[in-house]
Amino acid sequence: MVENRPLLNFLSHLLLILGVAVVVFPVYVAFIASTHGPNDFLSGVVPLWPGPHLLENYSQMLTTGLSSSGAPPLLPMMWNSLIMAVGVAVGKISISILSAFAIVYFRFPFRTLAFWMIFITLMLPVEVRIVPTFQVVASLGMLNNYGGLIVPLIASATATFLFRQFFLTVPDELMEAARVDGAGPLKFFWDILLPLSRTNIAALFIILFVLGWNQYLWPLLITTDPHLYTVVMGIKRMAAVADAEPRWNIVMAAVMLAALPPVLVIVAMQRLFVKGLTETEK
Amino acid sequence: MATIELIDLKKNYGAIPAVKGVDLSVADGEFIVLVGPSGCGKSTLLRMVAGLESVTSGRIEIGGRDVVKAEPAERDIAMVFQNYALYPHMTVRKNLEYGLRNRRVKNEEITRRVQEAAAMLEIGPMLDRKPRELSGGQRQRVAMGRALVREPAAFLFDEPLSNLDAKLRVQMRVEIRRLQRRLKTTSLYVTHDQLEAMTLADRLVVMNGGLVEQVGTPVEVYERPATVFVAGFIGSPPMNLIDLDYLRAQSAGTDLALPNGTDLVGIRPDDMVLIGPVEPSIALKATVELLEPVGGESHLHIRLAGSNQLAIVRVPGRPSFVEGSEISVFARIGDLHPYNRASGNRTD
Repeated sequence: MVENRPLLNFLSHLLLILGVAVVVFPVYVAFIASTHGPNDFLSGVVPLWPGPHLLENYSQMLTTGLSSSGAPPLLPMMWNSLIMAVGVAVGKISISILSAFAIVYFRFPFRTLAFWMIFITLMLPVEVRIVPTFQVVASLGMLNNYGGLIVPLIASATATFLFRQFFLTVPDELMEAARVDGAGPLKFFWDILLPLSRTNIAALFIILFVLGWNQYLWPLLITTDPHLYTVVMGIKRMAAVADAEPRWNIVMAAVMLAALPPVLVIVAMQRLFVKGLTETEK
Repeated sequence: MATIELIDLKKNYGAIPAVKGVDLSVADGEFIVLVGPSGCGKSTLLRMVAGLESVTSGRIEIGGRDVVKAEPAERDIAMVFQNYALYPHMTVRKNLEYGLRNRRVKNEEITRRVQEAAAMLEIGPMLDRKPRELSGGQRQRVAMGRALVREPAAFLFDEPLSNLDAKLRVQMRVEIRRLQRRLKTTSLYVTHDQLEAMTLADRLVVMNGGLVEQVGTPVEVYERPATVFVAGFIGSPPMNLIDLDYLRAQSAGTDLALPNGTDLVGIRPDDMVLIGPVEPSIALKATVELLEPVGGESHLHIRLAGSNQLAIVRVPGRPSFVEGSEISVFARIGDLHPYNRASGNRTD
């Protein structure tokens, strides 16, 4: 829009600010809650200004945790979450980029069928197939270990589809030039396709990392050993205490800490992320 | 350096034939240009030689070796693509080196060849830039350089100049010719631009509908087009093709001295003149339809009297003709190209 209308400007900014406030306010309340003492919430009035217990709450959460509700310290849980998130993101990207490579660049029988089979799994998220998947994982003896946390979530139709679409935009001449230059399929993939997909990989990594980090239902189902709890399910355990008020200040400290790594990943990779979603290097 | 032999080469896409049996032998160091309209199979032919298309039947020999089953990399050829196909994430230097590294050429040798090619193509200052930082002409040079450093048995060019603007195209055309003369590497060059074809080729291969219409030096092809198709395709503006019956009726009494079987006569626009020559000639009455000035010369579009036959006459300068005025045009008997319409072939 090129016209300059002060009222319109004002209204659109107001709307944007309101939208941001709606999103940010709960985060703010969570942060404020994490700086208060344990009894400040019993009055029924939610405090809106920071309290004096910031360091105390966070250090307790990180080191000892809430033993009363059966949750281990936050740091090991965050470590578990990190392993799971990175494992899921890296696994999903490796598998899907290779399957997209196969689907786009190789002529094998039932190639289209294979693609549509992968595509159809989009309709079957973890939640739909959770019982049979659990059965399979249990039979494979992967309950209570990282493999069980990561492997069932690794197949990704979305990522395969994204890489396929990207590969289709790479000119065929590039592959032909590589063939004339003496590069076999894997060398072409490694030397040319992979570097060209760099920004797409980064964008997907962020999305998948956050997805993996925020997994709740699957870790809850697959882990019974506190050493393997992930942070998102850990928070739920802390909040759900029997016959007592949850210690909201500590829970909120955990929430703030749990939200931190995804934010860090996004901030660190946002330049690549935006590039990956908007432009292609050709 | 090597010879290339194509023996009864055929290519079908499903049931549709793209190349219908081509025989061609290319001498060592020769520059062959494949020219023809879109869809005539010239690119398919080149890609078969490169190994990028499978061969339906026939043989391809490069340097006496049958390569039909060989991978592109094993054929010792280098290819220049229409859209350059440079690796976008690699610097110019890496682009040039890539094929050599894959072949495990020694480092010093790679450096030497890259430097040589860079000097030859004047791309030295750009070696550390990425392709997207280069202009179209510079990318074209890099694409050539990538072929050059390989020191292959043959160069294959797939319409390498068609993405360049007109001025650059002329410049690169001259450069390609100069380089090829100097390196004496056997070259196959595909183009639909007949000017490119005429100026570059040692020998021209005119293709149409998956078949070779004529093979010969540019001058041969221009002066004696072997078929009606070649007559209409090579030369700009194209040759005028006129019914023999019409010519006979118009030039009664003149001996046209045409062989038996002729029913169609070709006359180049250059061979039609407005002033009757001394030699035996035919005279045709016509109406001026349009005058196209193209700079140093003009193309006079005419309609021959008493028919719907259109023709083009090339006249020097910018003459003043009123559209619709009646004129006479002349052509020397010796400049007539006789053809048979049914077979499409030349009759003399």
